[in-house]
Formats: sequence, structure tokens, C-alpha cells
Amino acid sequence: MANLIQTKGLCKRYGSAMRVKDLCMAVPEGSIYGFLGPNGAGKSTTLKMILGLAHPTSGEIDVFGKRMNEKNRLDILKDIGSLIESPSYYGHLTGEENLRILQTLRNVPEDNIRDALEIVRLTSQKDKKVAHYSLGMKQRLGLAAALLAHPRLLILDEPTNGLDPAGIQEMRELICELPGRFGMTVVVSSHLLSEIDQMATHVGVIADGALVYQNTIDRLHEKSEHHLAMHTLNDAMAQALLTHHGIPNELREGEIILPPLEDEKVAECVTLLADSNIGVTRIEERRKNLEDIFLELTEGAASL
Amino acid sequence: MKALRMEFFKCRRRRLWLPLLVMLAAQLAWGLYSMRDPTARELQQGWATLLYNFPMLNAMMTPVIAAVVASRMADIEHKGQTLKLLETVQRTGTLFDAKFLCGAAYMTLFELVQLVVMIAFGLFCGFAGAPPADKIAEYFAATLLTTLTILLLQLVLSLLIPNQMIGMIIGLIGSFVGLFSLFFPPSFQKFLLWAYYAVLYNTRMDWDAATRISDYYFIDLDWAGFACLIVYFLVIYAVGRILFVKKEV
Repeated sequence: MANLIQTKGLCKRYGSAMRVKDLCMAVPEGSIYGFLGPNGAGKSTTLKMILGLAHPTSGEIDVFGKRMNEKNRLDILKDIGSLIESPSYYGHLTGEENLRILQTLRNVPEDNIRDALEIVRLTSQKDKKVAHYSLGMKQRLGLAAALLAHPRLLILDEPTNGLDPAGIQEMRELICELPGRFGMTVVVSSHLLSEIDQMATHVGVIADGALVYQNTIDRLHEKSEHHLAMHTLNDAMAQALLTHHGIPNELREGEIILPPLEDEKVAECVTLLADSNIGVTRIEERRKNLEDIFLELTEGAASL
Repeated sequence: MKALRMEFFKCRRRRLWLPLLVMLAAQLAWGLYSMRDPTARELQQGWATLLYNFPMLNAMMTPVIAAVVASRMADIEHKGQTLKLLETVQRTGTLFDAKFLCGAAYMTLFELVQLVVMIAFGLFCGFAGAPPADKIAEYFAATLLTTLTILLLQLVLSLLIPNQMIGMIIGLIGSFVGLFSLFFPPSFQKFLLWAYYAVLYNTRMDWDAATRISDYYFIDLDWAGFACLIVYFLVIYAVGRILFVKKEV
């Protein structure tokens, strides 16, 4: 699968602070690439550099296989739709008038306005002034503006920011259907792992300006650690007994952590403890969730 | 052209013409009221008197109008955070040029209406002789160039600084500077942009304290001052455009 975006050694310095460090991002064609990182990690700066809105301190950006520079920037951007941070709009104009400005400047057919409004389900509100739109509607208008030219690549920076749960779900559904319906590649940034987990096929995790992980979301799931947590009435004795019988274990925060064991082995452990009059009160199967992995990655505590 | 057309489109429902109209009405009322009942002497010097009075009014009011126009045009972009979207569909320099041309069109119309009313007033009152086309053309060129240079400066400030109060305060200070510059020595006036309404006077008034009579007459335009103003315009345009293009959004 070819990469629609490929950055090499991308850096951005603001004063003495290095906001993006040696970033090598690869966005495969047809993917929904979740760009994940805590607030202030450098997501927006990176996306702005890809769009040419911020100038890299060093490094290279290839989009659609072409090295991006000031001369070809607008030509490349003809095939890119973007929604950076909050939606851009003229509050005193209607939704349709807002899109008309972009349609004229982008030189695309007038019908695209109707199509974009339909996709984001704003047709019935198109004649209303945008100042009177709710935040969710403004966000959808922003998405319509990004979709106006039927781009090959869509860059959405925190598109669900400030939306209520229903709005978040609606936006998520819209984004998820884009690759299938229109063959678009989508880059979507967020600081919320659950959001990326529900949308993305690929994920890049950025922390403190550096890309700490990049692969498919499935590969990230594989990294989630599987273990058993056991609660007993006498943890110290139980641990000593299990260790004596060669069962690896560890006492962590008031529970005995066991590696993933086969059912027979678990039954054997319980019998062993019961025979020694150590009451087993609970056994839980635990999986280190993506959130834990994300936190580890962004704190630099793990290397995957 | 497309970019310019879109700038006018963006101004829909913004009533950009309203502050211009109000200021113009105030300016014309102020400038023409004192001449509503002219004596024979005043009729004789009518055209020179008009072209003497209006640069003063322009110096007092036009910087504020330019600040309002520039601020209203830039504010729609800051308020809706539209620059980050526009700069992905059009060249930043083109956007700057289109904004200036749109504002310039409004200010040119303002100056034109002012001039037409002045001439109509002179004809209506029966000022002596035909309107002095060369002097009126000089007045129009000088006023327009000064106004557009001030507009350009205001637009640069309003586009670069999201807080529009800064631009408005500069506009107000400019109008004070413009007014007080009338009392500055000519060599010093040339250093102040807002003083160019005074630098480019093509009329003069002699006040005779003994008879308490003012004489208005035409003089040659200070073409060196005109050239100096063109340099100001070009420098503000070049520096302002570069700063706007380089600014990251």
C-alpha cells in the first residue's frame, strides 16, 4: 500500500522549544490514520506543517508522492480537505454562502455544495446564518468544507472537540464511512484513545513532539498484556505456596498477578490454595487496555 | 478577480458602507455648513476655500474611517478563524491583495462621493468660474493616495493583530496626528503618514489680523511630498505583505 503522506525528519522549533522532533509519519492510502497524543504533543503543529500553514524548521514532507514546497503547495492541496482545530466560518453568512466562497476559490462545480451539505446532513439548515448554528452543526459545516472538492485525502484535527456524545457519534460515523463511500484516506487527530480506537485502521502516537508508535491499530491491540488477578484471604501465604509449586506470580497492589494460564492450571491453583485453607475470593481475567498502553507510550515508559 | 469578488461577497450583511456613510454625512455637513450663505468675496474664492477646508476634515476623520473599514474586513477572518482554511485554497499574498483592493474600492467610492458633492455644492452656490479641474484632480489624487496608504497600514495591523482595538487606537491616534500636523513645520510633516493631507495641500489661506479677512488661493502641489507618499505606500505594502505571508496561522 502506497503512502499518501510521508514525512522524514520533520522538526518544528518555536523559540527554544522543539515542538516536533524528527517525525517520520507514514499514512497508507485508503486508511483512517489516527494521530493520537496528549494535548500539546505536537499534533496540530504537524498537521499544519503538512498543509503548509506552518513552516518546518527542518525535514521533508511528501504528499501523493510529491515533495511539498511553496511552489506546488496549492496544487497538492487541491486534493486535500482539511479541518484544523475548530471549524472556520463566517458567522454573518449562511452555511451555503460559506461553502460558496470555498467552491469559487477552489474552482469546483456548484453541485459539490449540495453534495457536501447532503453528506454532513445540513441541507435543511443551509440558509441559516452560521452564527446561529450549534457547535456540532459548525463542525459538520467544517467537514462539508473539507469534503467540497471530493479530496483524496482528508485531514481532520480534533474534529469531535467540544461536541456532545451524540455529536461525537455522528461525526465518528461520518468519518468512518468516508473511505468506503468515497475512497478517501483520512488522517484524524485526537487526544482520546477510545475515539481513535473506534475509527482508525492505523495509528501514530505522538508524545512531546516525537512519534513513539506507528502501526496498524490491530498491531497495537496485540500489545495489550493479558493476565489473571487473584484475590485471597491470605495473599502472603498464597504467594509463597504458588511460588513453591513453580507458578510464576507477583503481588501487586493487594492482588496476586498470574500470567495467562490454561483452565486446568487455574483449577489446580485454586485446589492447591483451598487444600491449604487459603480462601480464594475472586479470580479475574485482566487485559492491559489500550489506555494503559497509550499512557506508557506517551510517558516514554515502554518501547514497542 | 475571483479573490476580489469573494472579498465583496464576504462583506455581505456587514453593512460596511454604513460607517462610511455616517462619516461622510458628518464631514459634508461640517465642511459645507459654514459656506451655505456665501458673500461675494467668498463666492470669488469658493473653490479654493473648499479645497482648503476638506483636507483638514479628511485629516481628522478619514484615518478613523480607514481603521473601521480595515478592522471590519480583517475581523471576519479572525473571528471565524478562516485564515487557516483560506490559506489552503488560495495564495496568502493574493488574499492580502484582494482584501486591500476591496477596502480601497470602498474608500475610493467614499472620496468620489465627497468630491461629487463638493463640486455640486460649488455649482449650486454659484462659485466664481468653472470648477478648476486641474486643482480638483490634484486634490483627489492626493487625498486618495493618502487615504489608501493609511488604509494599507491599518489593514496590515488589523490582519497581523487579532485584537482589533489596537488598530482602532492607532486610527484614532492617526486622526489626532493628522489634525495637529497642520501646525507642524512642513519638513517635519513629511515624516508622519497622517500628515500628508496637510503636506499635499494645493491651496493656502492668508489671514489678515488687521482686517480679520481670510484669503484663499491655489498653490502648486508639493510633488516631492507626493513622491515621498508613494514610497511610504510601497514600503508599507511590501513589508506588510511579507509579514502577512510569513505569519503562521
